[in-house]
Amino acid sequence: MFKKMLLSSLLLANSIFAASEVNIYSHRHYDTDKQLFKMFEEKTGIKVNVVKADASALIKRIQSEGKNSPADVLITVDAAGLFQAKDQGLLQSIQSNYLTSHIPEKFRDKDNQWFALTKRARVFVYKVGSDIPNELKTYEDLADPKFKGQVMVRSSNNVYNQSLLAAVIAHHGEEYALNWAKGVVANMAHDPKGNDRYQVKAVANDIGSIAVANTYYIGKMVDNRDISQAEAVKKVKILFPVFENGGTHVNVSGAGVAKYAPNKENAIKFIEFLASKDAQDLFANGNFEYPILAEVEKNDILKSWGTFEEDNISMNLLGENNKTAVKIFDQANWR
Amino acid sequence: MKQINSLSISSVILTLLICIPAVLIFIHIFFGESNNWQHLVDTVLYEYVFNSLYIMLGVAVLTSIIGFSTAYITTMFKFSFSDFFHYALILPFAIPTYIVAYIYGGMFDITGSVTTFILNLLNMKISEVYFFDIMSIEGAIIVMSLVLYPYVYLVSKTYLRAESASIIDASKTLGLSQWQIFYKVIIPISRPAIVAGVILAVMEAVADFGVMDYFGVSTFVTGIFRTWFGMGSVEDASRLAGMLMLFIFLLIFFEKYQRKNKQYKSSGKDFKPISKIQLHGSKNILAFLACFFPFFFGFLLPFFQMSYWFYLSYEYVIDEDFFTVLTQTLVIATFSALLITLMAFVFVYNVRLSKSHFSDMLTQISKLGYSIPGAVIAVGILSFFTLLDKNILAAFDANFLISGTIAAVIFGYCVRFLAIAINNYESGFSKIPFTYDDACKTMNIKQKRVLWYVILPLIKNSGLAAFIIVFIEIIKELPLTMILRPFNYDTLAVLTHELVMQSQIVESSVPSMFIVGLGIISVLILARKMIKD
Repeated sequence: MFKKMLLSSLLLANSIFAASEVNIYSHRHYDTDKQLFKMFEEKTGIKVNVVKADASALIKRIQSEGKNSPADVLITVDAAGLFQAKDQGLLQSIQSNYLTSHIPEKFRDKDNQWFALTKRARVFVYKVGSDIPNELKTYEDLADPKFKGQVMVRSSNNVYNQSLLAAVIAHHGEEYALNWAKGVVANMAHDPKGNDRYQVKAVANDIGSIAVANTYYIGKMVDNRDISQAEAVKKVKILFPVFENGGTHVNVSGAGVAKYAPNKENAIKFIEFLASKDAQDLFANGNFEYPILAEVEKNDILKSWGTFEEDNISMNLLGENNKTAVKIFDQANWR
Repeated sequence: MKQINSLSISSVILTLLICIPAVLIFIHIFFGESNNWQHLVDTVLYEYVFNSLYIMLGVAVLTSIIGFSTAYITTMFKFSFSDFFHYALILPFAIPTYIVAYIYGGMFDITGSVTTFILNLLNMKISEVYFFDIMSIEGAIIVMSLVLYPYVYLVSKTYLRAESASIIDASKTLGLSQWQIFYKVIIPISRPAIVAGVILAVMEAVADFGVMDYFGVSTFVTGIFRTWFGMGSVEDASRLAGMLMLFIFLLIFFEKYQRKNKQYKSSGKDFKPISKIQLHGSKNILAFLACFFPFFFGFLLPFFQMSYWFYLSYEYVIDEDFFTVLTQTLVIATFSALLITLMAFVFVYNVRLSKSHFSDMLTQISKLGYSIPGAVIAVGILSFFTLLDKNILAAFDANFLISGTIAAVIFGYCVRFLAIAINNYESGFSKIPFTYDDACKTMNIKQKRVLWYVILPLIKNSGLAAFIIVFIEIIKELPLTMILRPFNYDTLAVLTHELVMQSQIVESSVPSMFIVGLGIISVLILARKMIKD
């Protein structure tokens, strides 16, 4: 049995060089992606092979594999991962008129090494009936001492928080960012713990009055077989904060073509497919993400939250400032 | 003599192989660039050290109390449901720690179902009353201990059962009461077994990521991930991992050194089974409760919650793909566990035959992998296979990679789980007196025959225990599998993780339930075997 397995895995390793395949290294882990891959296979006849892990692990793997790497496409859930991969020379520039004409400039790399596919906003959540929307407008306000003991936010290990602080650095510089992070820590209802959904539940249970969470998590809580999540989310509302000199913090999930991609053409086709209308529809409705294509309609739950203005800073800055953000979190004692 | 040589050579080669990932990580420490080290020292390192020590201490105390007391009670006494507890107490093992953490979080954290229920009953708010928040470092210690105490239970129980009942009889003739026998005789002679179990539990606790990350506790391991993923610095992450390894290494040697002057091996002349004492009245109830609580909180409660979730969601999760994942998991876990059990035997048997410090040192070094987080081992293995791929395979013009194949995953399991198998054998061998070997020698019996007819029958239970524990561990293993696996290759643990990441905690109960089911079957085989012998 093992011999057979070993053989087949070696064959697999060999067959990845066959022309009718595309090899995906993905940090995304959603059911919708499975459907998307099937759609792509049916449409093009190109077989999709997938390995899923955290972005940094995948990046390390591509780096270790070097020129022999079977990776064609790297997909991450955050701009920082794509930046990191590009920074280490693991991606390549590609030519695609479709991608450059359909994906707005701020949502793609300036050398066309990666392209955003979906957007998610990092927003505030408050309890229905509370006074929070009148008092709290901006991300900067979150550090205001008047919210002492009220803020619920997950650990700074999380890349979404790292990107948010990276955005604060981009807007105001490192010194301000450090003071802001210290201010938020002082306002926390308790030490950071749990995931985004936990923060929302905590607000619903009056442990704090402001939670920081990503939009698509809230969409998923509405549509959930776990009753406690569905119940909790009924008790809360979403507030789209803005930066004092910008809009709402938005992050992206995106893809790039690996430098030594053995199936480069297929890789480009694959990314173009993910940016096509059909695929974007699925992203929007299956996973409650904001589509990157302007013409694709948002999911009804997303529509019910209203519209917001996106922050205009370049996604590249989120990646560039990521390391600094982690250090600032350490200094501010944001665990 | 020839056999000793081939054994010794095998262990040297195996040690070298096992050590490669660790060595490559160490190389990072000394030769890699490090831009963030001073920052880590200034800000978070102290906390990592303190929290990791605190968790180790807490888990050591709790698992030894729970694990040993239940092992002792079920071995020495007959009481209501005692036969049932014999099996049941091992079951917590079957549930992955991160799943228990999610479930306990959902029930007992400050937003949890149980907490909310009590608050509603009292008509109070969380701010008006003190609640122990399970999502804290103490909560993490409790959750980890509830799941990890079977390590101590299993090793202690195997040891106690095999330990000659005559020691107890002798103590009785000396006029010691049952209680005095317990703390004056049983505890001291069981120390090596307890420590062997505790060290496994502690190593597992300190290498955990899932529980600590969810509960918001900063330890070496969360620090390693944060430094690697957040700062993109494999060098600094490896340096942290190196410190952790060094620390565990010291711990293992300290334990060995402590034990050196004491020989716990029985003479073996008067081997006879323990005659269990029947308990009545309040003692019967006490014994029952002492076994029931760990079983209830370690297994039954999380199991009920999982079963409910399973019922809610199984039809959405079980499809054709799911069975592929199930088969893949079973095949890789069986094969790897067999391989690891065999390797561990080579190590420990070699130590016994050669009686050399060098062999012992090799064995201890080979156990180090258990203290390294799976993800870090994966990095070491990637680096190693990259070297192979780039230099050796490339020289033969082979156009494929070893990295990203099943071989890489199995290698990772060997590095990570060899310690468990070795510890089981060490504890098993420690009760086979050297006089057996000596007797065989004086009778001029060939080593091969001694191995076949004397050693193997005596050690087979330890071997089986090693296989089963490693098997379950592999089924539960996550980060290493995620990073090293080939394309389109999922295991139950990976599937569970993906569903949890998608916030589909309810759905994640389906693959977890299969993990638990496989765990239960394994545990039953293990326990049956123990009863038979």
